[in-house]
Amino acid sequence: MKSALLALCLASAASVHGADREFNDIVRAISEEFHTRPTTIPFFGIVNVFAETLRPAGTRHIDLAVFEHLSDSVREGRNLPEMIQGAVGHSWKPFVKVHSYKSGETVLVYMRQEGPKDWRLLLTSVEREEATVVQLRLNAEALAQWVKDPEHKALRWHGEVGE
Amino acid sequence: MKRILPVVLLLGLPLAAQEIKMPPGLDKLAAKASEVVDVNLDGALLQLASKFLSDKDADEAHVKQLVGGLKGIFVKSFEFDEANQYSQADIEEFRAQFRPPAWSRIVSARSKKNGENSEILLKTDNNQISGLVVIVTEPKELTIVNIIGNIRPEDLRDLGGKMGIPKIDVGGAVKQSDKKNNDKKEDEK
Repeated sequence: MKSALLALCLASAASVHGADREFNDIVRAISEEFHTRPTTIPFFGIVNVFAETLRPAGTRHIDLAVFEHLSDSVREGRNLPEMIQGAVGHSWKPFVKVHSYKSGETVLVYMRQEGPKDWRLLLTSVEREEATVVQLRLNAEALAQWVKDPEHKALRWHGEVGE
Repeated sequence: MKRILPVVLLLGLPLAAQEIKMPPGLDKLAAKASEVVDVNLDGALLQLASKFLSDKDADEAHVKQLVGGLKGIFVKSFEFDEANQYSQADIEEFRAQFRPPAWSRIVSARSKKNGENSEILLKTDNNQISGLVVIVTEPKELTIVNIIGNIRPEDLRDLGGKMGIPKIDVGGAVKQSDKKNNDKKEDEK
């Protein structure tokens, strides 16, 4: 019981530690661009305890960083999609990119294979008010759902996380 | 291979992806567009997705069979708030990549009514279809679909709305607006 409690405490304390360098680089790039830091999500680490066990929708790990109230920030004015592309590097494949000037929304999705059954998706969405960086560790079936309808899935995921 | 390499280099295509080359003029369109969508699915991803398509459902089984012969799907679409944001010269520069004998234009449809033009260019290697490109131009929209692999133009209809491919009416046009309506319907479910 004690060890389970300790594991939960450790998990809840975890934030973006253990995430890939690229995830942290994107978070840093957004932080520098908007002079802000991601919102602290209490007990988010617990999500991964459950994800690792229950694998909801084929997802076994989630890293998440949410930036809020971006319109209050003074921007550096750099080209964010280019910065994100630079942070991601070549080991991640570009998967889906949706950019709407009308809504000021950019969604960039990259993917990388980690092993025969393990894939990672790196999603970044930036809106006028909010930015979200998500890294998902998925099984092949979950990734296949993305491939079947990439654009719609990216926009829907962005909407769900952003809510 | 010796024959393929110079062609690939000539077109400036990355070997891994075999993406078609976007001329600088078209690349710059992103800045003018109200919406840009870019989908890149390589062969490995397509094969992975096809494994999870059902053999029992007739439609899915058919798509599975089609996707099994593909090595890549690349979609790029631009939507503009105002008409005529891109020039015919940009389109011509892009189209110039698809020269005979490897490429042949098999469909070209023009609609004076709504200013919509669509064309399908087919690539063949040793009498085998090895890919196709769909270019659809409308006053406020530009869509380019590049499918690498063994695909027949008539299969486009069945692949429309799947794997990032807009709904395509062979001999007609890519119905982006239809796709969006379908997306909305799915969102409402």
